[in-house]
Amino acid sequence: MARLGMVIDLKRCIGCNACTLACKQENGTPEGISFSRVITEEVGTYPNSTRTFLPTLCNHCSDAPCAAVCPTGATYIRPDGIVMVDHNMCIGCRACNLACPYMNRHYIEHGLLEHGYNSEGISPMEAIKFADFDEGTNIKCTLCAHRVDQGLEPACVVTCPTDARIFGDWEEEDGKLQRLVKERKGWTLLPEYETKPNVYYLDA
Amino acid sequence: MATRELLIAPHRFAVGYHRQRYWNWLIGTAFFLGGLGGGLFLVSLLTGHVAGMIAGFLIVVVGKNSAHMLFLGRPERFLAAARRPDRSWIARGIWAMGVFMATGFISILLQAHAPWIHLSKSAANINFGVAAACAVFIAGYDGFVMRSSAGLAFWRTLLLPLLLFMYASLGGITLSLTIRDLRGEIPPAGLEALEHGLLVANLFLLAIYFYRMSRSLPAARETLREWLRGTYARAFFGLVLLVGLAATLLLSILHANVHSPVLVVLIAGCELTGDFTVMMLMLKSGLFAPLAAPSYRRGDAI
Repeated sequence: MARLGMVIDLKRCIGCNACTLACKQENGTPEGISFSRVITEEVGTYPNSTRTFLPTLCNHCSDAPCAAVCPTGATYIRPDGIVMVDHNMCIGCRACNLACPYMNRHYIEHGLLEHGYNSEGISPMEAIKFADFDEGTNIKCTLCAHRVDQGLEPACVVTCPTDARIFGDWEEEDGKLQRLVKERKGWTLLPEYETKPNVYYLDA
Repeated sequence: MATRELLIAPHRFAVGYHRQRYWNWLIGTAFFLGGLGGGLFLVSLLTGHVAGMIAGFLIVVVGKNSAHMLFLGRPERFLAAARRPDRSWIARGIWAMGVFMATGFISILLQAHAPWIHLSKSAANINFGVAAACAVFIAGYDGFVMRSSAGLAFWRTLLLPLLLFMYASLGGITLSLTIRDLRGEIPPAGLEALEHGLLVANLFLLAIYFYRMSRSLPAARETLREWLRGTYARAFFGLVLLVGLAATLLLSILHANVHSPVLVVLIAGCELTGDFTVMMLMLKSGLFAPLAAPSYRRGDAI
């Protein structure tokens, strides 16, 4: 049984947000919704200042709290570990939004799909992508399941110019993910919330 | 080594605490009405008061359910929410609501001695028991719904369902006393004393809740700071403590000597204001923890 996930090497991340844009382009998410984002902040005061980058996406948790609270079963975990939403079953109760400590669930407000990023209405690309969404329901990162099913890597992974995102299967004995986390003492976001994330980070 | 004080983040791409903006005043109203109506129905059922039962039933069935339907993104699919009672408190709530609507309605008819409904005594008692259990559930399950929102540390405690149930009971008793007083009926012995006891108990429970949160995760501690010294301090001290608990207690003690319909309405208004404010503060103050590297969170990022 596979358990797909990712390791993000913060030493390699340059905060270019190419992953954010690649995700936007691949999934065509509506305005204000980004499955992948880079949390950035300047810290310190000149001359002892620096910028920190933390690329994030859905952690595809093994104990996904968003799936646990879903009253309809719209949120489910595939056999390969990807957490998905069936928008035809979602009632828009937004319990999953509050259950996810990483804020990686996104609610599509009514009217959001009526306009795109341009002031002139919806572009041809948006018209195609928006057909996958449903107003009044929740969406989330699918780890590009449509690409993974074809043997491809997620869009954010192939786009990263510094190879900071490493995609793979946690169940692979001594696979690249396990090896990296072991060698460089990988960690997860908010471990105190006990969600068993499948996205690990390596220190900068 | 720099020490860091994380603030409310202005947007999702920034480090800091994030306010929950998913559940709004509509869901707060639904939870408030569920507690109030469930509490009123329960108190009225136990004391055999038909008018209170009808009021409680309508508050739950019309008020709570309408607010829920207005809140849902896809209300036409609401029945699908009953699919997973094994794991979701929302699903359990839907089942309880269905049973409550049936048994509650029959209970009202039986209590009002409607001529066209006949049940044996044991069947009627079973119906009363189920209706009472459902009223307890409806008055309290919203707390479990909130508690299962794992992303918000301030809600992740069993004290939350207890607190909301206590407030539901208090609201139910207060409204029951108000209805009886306005109708010129004498309340059962001990109901007013129970109201006073609950007012004091809720104050203690709030203190215990805060003590527990002060030793919880950072996001819970930050939320607590917002209640006591931050954005919500005025609403908490003014509306919850002063109006909702202190004024309600003083006015209801005064009511033992001064009988006036205006005073009765004022007592109910004060108590319900405090009750509603607690619910809205709980909803609005929910904070998500900052997402950051462990070294950054410790304060040694630079």
